[in-house]
Amino acid sequence: MFKIKLEQKERVSKREELIITLSAIGIAFVLAGIFIALNGVNPFLALWKVVTSSLGSSYGISETIVKAIPLIFTGLAVGIALNSKLWNIGAEGQLFFGATFATAFVIYGPVLSKPLELTVLIILGAVGGALWALIPALLKIKFKMNEVISTLLLNYVAINIADYFLFGPWKGKDNFPYTPEFPPEAKFSRIGFGRVHAGLILALVLVVLLYIIIYHTKLGYKLRITGSSLRAAKYAGININKIMFLVFLLSGALAGLAGVSQVCGIEYKLHQHISTGYGYSGIIVAWLARTNPYIIVIFAVFLSILLKGADSLQIAMHLPAAVGVVMQALILFAILGSELFKTYNVKLIRRK
Amino acid sequence: MSDNNKNLLVHMNGISKSFYGNKVNTDVEFKLQKGEIHALLGENGAGKTTLMNMLTGVYFPDEGDIYFKGEKITFDFPGKALQFGIGMVHQRFSLVGNLTVLENLILGHPDNKFVINIPEKKKLIKTYMDQFNFQLDLNAIVGDLPIGVRQKVEILKMLVREVDVLIVDEPTTVLTKQEADNLMQILKNIADTGKGIIFITHKMSEVFQIADKITVLRKGIKISTVNKKDTNPRELAKMMVGKENELTFEKPVVDLKPNIVRIQNLFVNSNKGVLAVNDLTFDVAGGEVIGIAGVSGNGQIELADALTGNRDVIRGKVLFKGKDISNDPPVKRIDEGISYVPGDRINVGVAGNRSVWENIIMKVYRLPKFRKGLLLNNVKLKEYAEKIIKQYNIFLPGINLPALLLSGGNLQKLIIGREIERDCDLYIYVYPTRGLDVGATEFVRKAILQLRNEGKAVILISGDFDEIFGLSDRIAVMYEGKFTGVFKNGEHSLEEIGLMMSGCTEEEAVKEMSNV
Repeated sequence: MFKIKLEQKERVSKREELIITLSAIGIAFVLAGIFIALNGVNPFLALWKVVTSSLGSSYGISETIVKAIPLIFTGLAVGIALNSKLWNIGAEGQLFFGATFATAFVIYGPVLSKPLELTVLIILGAVGGALWALIPALLKIKFKMNEVISTLLLNYVAINIADYFLFGPWKGKDNFPYTPEFPPEAKFSRIGFGRVHAGLILALVLVVLLYIIIYHTKLGYKLRITGSSLRAAKYAGININKIMFLVFLLSGALAGLAGVSQVCGIEYKLHQHISTGYGYSGIIVAWLARTNPYIIVIFAVFLSILLKGADSLQIAMHLPAAVGVVMQALILFAILGSELFKTYNVKLIRRK
Repeated sequence: MSDNNKNLLVHMNGISKSFYGNKVNTDVEFKLQKGEIHALLGENGAGKTTLMNMLTGVYFPDEGDIYFKGEKITFDFPGKALQFGIGMVHQRFSLVGNLTVLENLILGHPDNKFVINIPEKKKLIKTYMDQFNFQLDLNAIVGDLPIGVRQKVEILKMLVREVDVLIVDEPTTVLTKQEADNLMQILKNIADTGKGIIFITHKMSEVFQIADKITVLRKGIKISTVNKKDTNPRELAKMMVGKENELTFEKPVVDLKPNIVRIQNLFVNSNKGVLAVNDLTFDVAGGEVIGIAGVSGNGQIELADALTGNRDVIRGKVLFKGKDISNDPPVKRIDEGISYVPGDRINVGVAGNRSVWENIIMKVYRLPKFRKGLLLNNVKLKEYAEKIIKQYNIFLPGINLPALLLSGGNLQKLIIGREIERDCDLYIYVYPTRGLDVGATEFVRKAILQLRNEGKAVILISGDFDEIFGLSDRIAVMYEGKFTGVFKNGEHSLEEIGLMMSGCTEEEAVKEMSNV
């Protein structure tokens, strides 16, 4: 018999951390390979298919980028919260609420000139997302309610609110649950590479902006200290409630923008499938990237390669649709599991 | 085994344990006889709880052996201690709040089968209650019970498990006087049946109320084991606090600036919502160090927190340079010129996993000179951090690496350097040299004295008598949220202060000493 002994590590170097993270992703791939093999498909062939379908053609690349755009927004949303040790599991709901907010203006508001219309929609989307994040923020600050639970549960509420409009007042002419197509003024322009749209530019601007906010402003400094230790932050004179409040709003606004970018950039209407779980995938992106905005872009692309690849596997190799979700889940499990190796030396001891 | 008598229950021999290179226990020997109440006395951090955690298998000793009823024992898993018959009642209870007393007593009992015969268990438990004279409502929900009763449940739980050794860790801290007396009686009843009891405490009065034997620990080392009848509070106080080589410091006469701080009828609550600072009134002048002595947990931390805005003032006033600041948030007090070196360096004094430079700028980053338009001037901030590192001789692996990688002494230098550079009028130091080596200790003490000589007001909260005697102009002794004495340094002996720390007033302490 063996038993496992854990011993606290005093520190872990950046290099070691990187190796552990990459090994975790590797292990996730091996496990996903087993899953694929059990479905009767050669896993190496499947991996090749994933890579070629998402990166092998300009069409593939453009579609991969299209999927990466909402992931950058939600990755930033979860990441900024994670910076101050808050878990926003509610990006999915904030995405839908933001999209619903913007869509309401398209349906009820006047049609403005394109730049003005889009500005209004972007602002409304951000406001919608922020409003939806306001609820868990207040619950946490006033009643100390755990934000993991409140943000998660509010996802279902937000999605149901969107459903209410889709099945009710905004129902399409043919009785299907989607809104009429947006007017051209409410559509993001394409940037000349497949379906890639101006949402990408907005996302990348926000990446740089957030990097500057986090590492070069007073607010960012407060956020970093609060994320490291609440007691130290309080001692340093930081109003931690105010910081948490701001972070929640910012996080919600970013997730709301993902919603706007989906309805105005790709779908041109609001329907039930504007997000294929981008809010949840954003958690993986943020966790892998360790909250640095630039690295969030890298992992958003990484995850969108998987998502795009999984789509192709479904079509070309007749694998179940769940394969993408399974792969994401395995990566998250492996990464969470690898945390153990970052804080402990794990030893196997033979039992006498 | 040395004295292999039948009454010896526990023998811990040559026990050493260290955490991260800090020795918590060094070569400790401890023996417990049947029917004996053995007090384990010592300051906080003396290593009492760690020693007992090794007896219950929570930690493994680095060196040394544990014998139970003459046999050497080792613990494969934490539950093993209970199987041997060693039970511990921790400071934080391990009861399930929304179950009844009966359910809590049955829960996890080793004799439980898949189906539990509740009425039978109830009968069994009643026999224990009669034997040890417990009065408890078995059907009450534990969460509704007052703390004193919950503690009884916890003790009964151990008795039902037929332990031979019962360890209670500072059991009276959360109890009222009446509850505490009641507890003492119960413990005596239990000892009378031949079980051994280890009573962890730092309160002198309890030791004399209940113990047969007393083992004093200080800084992880066993100082002595004595019979109660052979000792007195004075001797124990001396053993507990110790006295080492005195460092002597030059203390030039400084012109006092009166009333930098005035504290009027201050009331502050602890985290548990219990009154921790109870009607304190005192003032501190610029150019003096007031040393606040006391066993930790008597309201010192709460006092420091209240002065710095980290804890709410329930009633009373804090006046700083004539202004009422009782309700000002921490940030305002920082700007007004109050500096705070907290006792918990790692968790409060720094944001441990942020870099060294980010921690050095913690209190100055808001100043206009570090601004660059809307942004922070990180270059200038880093330069400032470098300057402090150089000036205070802080040894570190790298300015961009996390602060928690610094050694205790260097971390404290970082904090103290950061605070002194801000040029405040009031400096509050809490356990500033705890856990530091000789060199760092001397640095810190010199720094404190330098502040005093420059005319700053200093409040020094410490458990170290060398420090209190070496640095203070006045000494205040704190006990249960009140000052039992405030006097000029030198007016009272160490022994008298020891007595005041355990609740005697100045007059009582002097009288007690003159009787000897």
